[in-house]
Amino acid sequence: MAEVATREFVPASQAAVQDTQLRQALRRAGSGFDGTRREAIAEVTPEVWEGWREQARRIKEHTIAHLDYYLAMLEKNVTAAGGRVHFAADAQQANAIVSEIARNAGVRTVTKSKSMVSEELGLNHVLEALGIDVFETDLGEYIIQLAEETPSHLVAPALHKTRGQVAQLFAEKLGVPYSDDIEEMARVARIVLRQKFLDADMGVSGANFLVAETGSLVIITNEGNGRLCTSAPRIHVGLAGMEKVIPSLQDLAVFLRLLPRSATGQRITSYMSMVTGPRRPGDEDGPEEFHLVIVDNGRSRLLQDPALRESLYCIRCGACLNVCPVYQRIGGHAYGWVYPGPIGSIVTPGLVGVAQAKDLPNASTLCGACRDACPVQINIPRMLLHLRHQQAESSDYNQRTASDTDALLARGFASVMSSPWLLKLGRAASRAMAGPLAKDGKIGQSRLPLLSRWTRARDLPIPPARTFRDVWRDELSRGRG
Amino acid sequence: MGIPSDDFLAMVRGALGREDAPPVEPYAPLLDDLAALESQAAAVRERIAGELPGLMTQVADTAALRGWNVARCAGVEDALDYVVSLAGRLGATSVARSEQEVFGAMPVDSALAGVGALCWPAVYEGAESRASVRRRLEECAMGITGADYAVAETGSVIVLPRRGLSRLVSVVPPVHVAVVRPQDIVGTLDDLFALRRLEFYRNGAEGGGDMGSYLNFITGPSRTADIEQTIVVGVHGPKEVHLVMLEQE
Amino acid sequence: MPERSCSANLAGRFAREIELTQPQPKRASLFVTCIIDQLYPEVGVSVVRTLRRCGVEVDFPASQSCCGQPLYNSGFTQEAKRLAMRTLDVFEDADYVVVPSGSCGAMLRVFYLDLFADNPDMLPKAESLSGRVYEFTEFLAEVVGVEEAGGEESGPAQTVAYHPSCHLLREMEVRDAPLRLLESAPRVELADLPDAEQCCGFGGTFAVKYPHISEEMLADKIESILASGADTVTACDMGCLMHIRGAVSRRNLPVAVKHVAQVLDGARDGESG
Repeated sequence: MAEVATREFVPASQAAVQDTQLRQALRRAGSGFDGTRREAIAEVTPEVWEGWREQARRIKEHTIAHLDYYLAMLEKNVTAAGGRVHFAADAQQANAIVSEIARNAGVRTVTKSKSMVSEELGLNHVLEALGIDVFETDLGEYIIQLAEETPSHLVAPALHKTRGQVAQLFAEKLGVPYSDDIEEMARVARIVLRQKFLDADMGVSGANFLVAETGSLVIITNEGNGRLCTSAPRIHVGLAGMEKVIPSLQDLAVFLRLLPRSATGQRITSYMSMVTGPRRPGDEDGPEEFHLVIVDNGRSRLLQDPALRESLYCIRCGACLNVCPVYQRIGGHAYGWVYPGPIGSIVTPGLVGVAQAKDLPNASTLCGACRDACPVQINIPRMLLHLRHQQAESSDYNQRTASDTDALLARGFASVMSSPWLLKLGRAASRAMAGPLAKDGKIGQSRLPLLSRWTRARDLPIPPARTFRDVWRDELSRGRG
Repeated sequence: MGIPSDDFLAMVRGALGREDAPPVEPYAPLLDDLAALESQAAAVRERIAGELPGLMTQVADTAALRGWNVARCAGVEDALDYVVSLAGRLGATSVARSEQEVFGAMPVDSALAGVGALCWPAVYEGAESRASVRRRLEECAMGITGADYAVAETGSVIVLPRRGLSRLVSVVPPVHVAVVRPQDIVGTLDDLFALRRLEFYRNGAEGGGDMGSYLNFITGPSRTADIEQTIVVGVHGPKEVHLVMLEQE
Repeated sequence: MPERSCSANLAGRFAREIELTQPQPKRASLFVTCIIDQLYPEVGVSVVRTLRRCGVEVDFPASQSCCGQPLYNSGFTQEAKRLAMRTLDVFEDADYVVVPSGSCGAMLRVFYLDLFADNPDMLPKAESLSGRVYEFTEFLAEVVGVEEAGGEESGPAQTVAYHPSCHLLREMEVRDAPLRLLESAPRVELADLPDAEQCCGFGGTFAVKYPHISEEMLADKIESILASGADTVTACDMGCLMHIRGAVSRRNLPVAVKHVAQVLDGARDGESG
């Protein structure tokens, strides 16, 4: 499985907010993607847009509630079309399945189109250890593969890189003359990768959707690399999280309307490819073998918890990242694993364990922008609250990661707020303590441990002599408007 | 390696808190008997026929917005003129095409031969190998395909597999020309999928269906915005795409 | 969420019915919020004065306390329930519960329903309260039907930037009411706040748990406020405003920070009216 650095959230996010190039890249991408998304939505009426969201939501609710049934249907129909379905409980199993397929077929070169599941599995390293050459072919993925980094966004993996950084990378790794002309860099990638497409024995793709009724794998792309990966090599391996299945071909229409608009603001992407089994006897194009690897890798934990189940409705459009004020300040890498941003803060604790990722559910203001943007109406703030609740009060000790101090503070706060006498006492104490700290009626920068976290950049008011209830009792209660 | 599907499905059921797969009430009635699907498809066809002139205009307008160069041609002669002049502009000497029905009525091979371009079906026969056809495909200036459907809602062309290297003809060469006939046009994605579902159930052997190995939507040129969100066209697929619409066959 | 739209509809109907059948003044029970009680009593005074000026009878149940939101948001639902039950009792008989905060208002209207979803004894109480809770400006605009809530005609003109706080906007779904009231107030000109709907970065304990992120968000909000050219920034939540005022004060910026009630009441910055 891909390396988990979620424990480093605080230092990583502290470094990220200092990174001016990153901030610049995030600003450009965030406003760009979100701006075009809003334009695309404004093109249809709000009723139509909300209707699509509701319909998609219903489809996902229904499918996930009957996931076993639709997975069985999918398996039957992929098999009927001449393909093979493999089931993997975890990353290790999934990697072993793909390795075995590659070994059996004597594969030496693999081309890949973008797959977040593959990132989750850390598949590239596993294949490379077998002596196989692996090439990412989505331009963004190719860039981060050359840079030996991980994606920082669900849709735009190299979003954190400026054109200058990419130009530098191409010059170093590909030996081409430095040019930060974007068109030229895309041309270089086309030339380098074109040969790989034709040489590759095996193509690996992700899946945006799996259609149970027909046994089809659907990928939605813009560059054309997905078409080449699934058509040119003699073997095609599709990787998919088990939640990707939808019942029928007819269900696909609404998702084709929602996904591109939410992801990049496109009305539709350049390509939508639907692969059903290997090539048929009449075809001369397409793979001889088609394998579909269905991956759990922690998803059943999300499925099991009714409060978190809806995180499996996610179609990975990235809209929640583009509107998230936290993601927009710290970027994707600070989250420490494959899935960043608001949805990542739900999915990651589910997949790597709550205790591993205790900052993620807390690093949110619960502003709710993600829920409004989500094309399948996933209530992300409510799930963040649920995870916080698990951290504070779970009966499972492994999940209960809130510190004893936090628990003590919470109990203390509740007690003070429940008792007028304690509240008065507390207030008197805080006024007494604030006195020496205050200057001009406010508390400036302080070095006291907890206080300093507020006063690093913000002054703090000192409690005035009278509370509102004092004023009410003394003056307002007698007034009648 | 992996685990047997029964075990995997049992685990999913466990997570859902159930013992065994219950019968599923479809959330929306989905037709799966041929007669019903046929009448649904017939209704779709009838509606399309009634709205055809408007839908053709919608295809042209939407496709243009999505990056196609749209040529509305009165008939086959006009369409051939367009293709020939395009090949001339590109200086094409080799043009690949798919084995689609439309080229029976539209003799593109001979028309292009007239201007010195070799137009060849991307199939391999006799001594030629798949690899060598691929190499020829790599070198040609243009790929021409028909369309199995053109969707007015999205400005997309759908190409299904044919004999030969039909998948690669529309993605490997730097220029792609798609020829659309009036009978290829559908209104919405829902129309398209209703028609495909009928084909699926019709083609299938006993108790199952067949989708064909590949169904591909093409909507405009290949593009990327992976560097600084700046759109560049023609990254791995064609940079230039033409939609040649026959007003009548 | 169905609960919210349902409660909104119910409220609308309720309001209309009362309009038709009861000409007498509306009676509002003020839930003042702990931050106003403890730190900004002058805001509470402006709230009461404005309500009364608009013909509302105001009462303040003195046994009220915190709504429990800070605990709920930190995951301590058991402790939050203690405070929530108390709040439910205090306001059991109130016609309307008026809250000068979108975030505490959301707790009462939306999150109590979640908090007691599994408690058949408490859930009806929470549902009843949910239908009677209004944010201050929402109450004036939607229930009382106030079109002009502005106070005295005298005093200096102000250019006001309105920051829509997140819970008010997205949980209580109050978007227009504060703007309409501010627009109608004498001597108030609304400034255009860039990226107005972006969170200011307060987020309760978030502000101290992740100050480095909170401060970045705040810095952008301050930049927007300055770009708007406003001399006053206002909102319906003292939490966000304490956070914004903290930076305004630290940087000595020439911007007054006021709750919407203070703007409507014609109060000067930090003055108890």
